[in-house]
Amino acid sequence: MEIIRVRGLSVGYGETPVLENLDFDILSGRVTVIVGESGSGKSTLLKTLIGLLPPLAGAVVLDGRPIDFNSEEDLRNLYARIGVLFQNSALLNSLSLYENIALPLRIHRPDQAPAEEAKRVAEMLGRVGLQGSENKFPYELSGGMRKRAAVARAMVLDPEIFFCDEPSAGLDPITATGLDSLLKGLCRAHGMTFVVVTHELRSIERIADRILLLRDGGVRFHGGPGDLDKTKDPYVKAFFLRTANHDH
Amino acid sequence: MKHFDNVEKFFTLFSDELYHTGRYLRRRQGVMPGAVVQQMFAMGYRSFPIITLITFLVGVTISLTSAAQLRLFGADVYLADLIGLAMIKELVPLMTGIMMAGKIGASITAEIATMKVMDEIDALRTMGVVPEKFLMVPRLIAITLCVPLLVVLADVVGLAGGMLVGRLSLGIPPLAFLKEVFRVVGVSDFLLGIGKTMVFGWAVVVGSGYKGFFISRGAEEVGTATTDSVVLSIALIIGLDCVFAFVLN
Repeated sequence: MEIIRVRGLSVGYGETPVLENLDFDILSGRVTVIVGESGSGKSTLLKTLIGLLPPLAGAVVLDGRPIDFNSEEDLRNLYARIGVLFQNSALLNSLSLYENIALPLRIHRPDQAPAEEAKRVAEMLGRVGLQGSENKFPYELSGGMRKRAAVARAMVLDPEIFFCDEPSAGLDPITATGLDSLLKGLCRAHGMTFVVVTHELRSIERIADRILLLRDGGVRFHGGPGDLDKTKDPYVKAFFLRTANHDH
Repeated sequence: MKHFDNVEKFFTLFSDELYHTGRYLRRRQGVMPGAVVQQMFAMGYRSFPIITLITFLVGVTISLTSAAQLRLFGADVYLADLIGLAMIKELVPLMTGIMMAGKIGASITAEIATMKVMDEIDALRTMGVVPEKFLMVPRLIAITLCVPLLVVLADVVGLAGGMLVGRLSLGIPPLAFLKEVFRVVGVSDFLLGIGKTMVFGWAVVVGSGYKGFFISRGAEEVGTATTDSVVLSIALIIGLDCVFAFVLN
């Protein structure tokens, strides 16, 4: 069942569209990977899906209800249901890991008791393998640890949909594999919907249930990893290294 | 057209901040607990050494320059009147404002602009946090609470500078100097100085926040935005001071 339906969506900056007339669904409890060349509009699309960039046209329908990007209430509802892992972690450098992870709790559950908050933060840090790091600051951590801490922060409110922008960017292959396993494991354990923007082929193979390939301002391929072998589109085959070469 | 857009953005942010501060004062939500105290420490405690040093030096310099002229006319005792009025009504607010622009404004812009470049502002938004409230309201409240303390301190050291020169250069006894200052300077002048500095402080915080939030390019613009924010803050302070001069005289 689809949790997000995208219909006739055009996204871009100012008056200039980067992607036009997109139609696709994001299935609940699955990992959808958005891929494409650099500049294909992956991050722009993600910005719209997470409510940071109003669309130029069309609709993003969340659970059957189109999101009104000008409505504070609609955006608040969206933010209460999503978690976002940014490319460079985006942890607040002035706050300790504890404060970073507790921040969404303090904003959305201001009446929560400090003991409960501490328990939840410790649980989240444990889940991402950073137990005992509460008092560390983001600048004291490695890139991989920062990413994991950012995952803990994004998941502390148990979001229904988790968006990741280039999760393995800047990480070595072993750390990237570990992060992919962590994300996939969390998706399976909590039945969460994942939307991941990446162009790391190995990462796509490891985590994708559905693939959305962007090209020339639109969707070039949308399907499961198994469908890649069936497609006859030479660009899609070349992109996923199913053929040796392709002249774009 | 671009300048008009910038003015519109500035006033939009300014009105947003008034709205967010009003809401926060009614209902304590959307701001990290302890952020106001943290900002008071950053703005007040860290700024007071440079503000006291500068106002002391300004007090000494103005006194030295004036003393020579006053001595020519045998009007030595009026040094206290001059220093009292000039420091409390004009120079302390202006110098404190300019110091705040350099010390506090630059750090606000650098911090917010870096947060924007590092996607921290977007991250806050997706957590349901309003960054313009989360980051700016504690600073606006902190500057409001810190300014009276900084002004009192600056007034004291500024007058002390003048008193020192009066004693050493013109032989005016400190007690006579102070008596003359309190004869010409009323409580209203003192409160006016605080009020003016508070307005300058708000201008510094909003101007610096504006430069940080509306950074358009990448990391290379953080430095430019920071220097621009100091220039904008100083321009706002002098412009506002001019408005005060017109209105109050």
